Amino acid sequence: MAEVASPARTLDCTGMNCPLPVIKTAQAIKDIEVGEVLELLATDPGVDPDMHAWSSRTGHELLGIERRGDVFHVLLRRTK
Amino acid sequence: MNGWSGEGEGKVLYVQTHGVNDPGRSATPFFLAASAAAMECEVAIYFTMYGPQLLQREVVDKIGPKGDRGQPLSYFIEQATSLGVRLLVCQPSLDLNDLAIEDLIDGIEMIGGAAFNELAMQADAVVSF
Repeated sequence: MAEVASPARTLDCTGMNCPLPVIKTAQAIKDIEVGEVLELLATDPGVDPDMHAWSSRTGHELLGIERRGDVFHVLLRRTK
Repeated sequence: MNGWSGEGEGKVLYVQTHGVNDPGRSATPFFLAASAAAMECEVAIYFTMYGPQLLQREVVDKIGPKGDRGQPLSYFIEQATSLGVRLLVCQPSLDLNDLAIEDLIDGIEMIGGAAFNELAMQADAVVSF
């Protein structure tokens, strides 16, 4: 996954609760170029279903969610 | 602008009926509205019954969902409105609470019952609290 999706930016939302990871992701995706990848780090377990919903609604591509310890690593590609 | 522009990925209308007597119910509509706006949806919150009490200038910094602990309501309002969430009230609800529009924070839109019903019928979802 790492070689196809090297993040242009990492957004650290560890320790933050809903709805902050979603809100900050929506803002951060606008700060990268179309085609680039944003990495979101979060500890709120709701981030997994939230990012599936956010991606489905906005059209930005969810490349994967990997949990390492307490931290979810979410890769999102800006599509528009 | 009164109705929905139709330019978002969806339209969600929240309805807040609770006021300052139940702080635990004050912030969640703002959380959910902010989340919907982050999903690129058009979002509005309609404050009716006791709801307009939450928008008073004198109140927003003094109450929060957890009382004296945590962030005040103004923080959650700003979070939502900065993402484009619209805040709506109607005159009868202001009268019910002995409030005037000048008593409320800036940026509140006045609508009426017909406008509310039209927004509700055109929305993809209406969520009432």
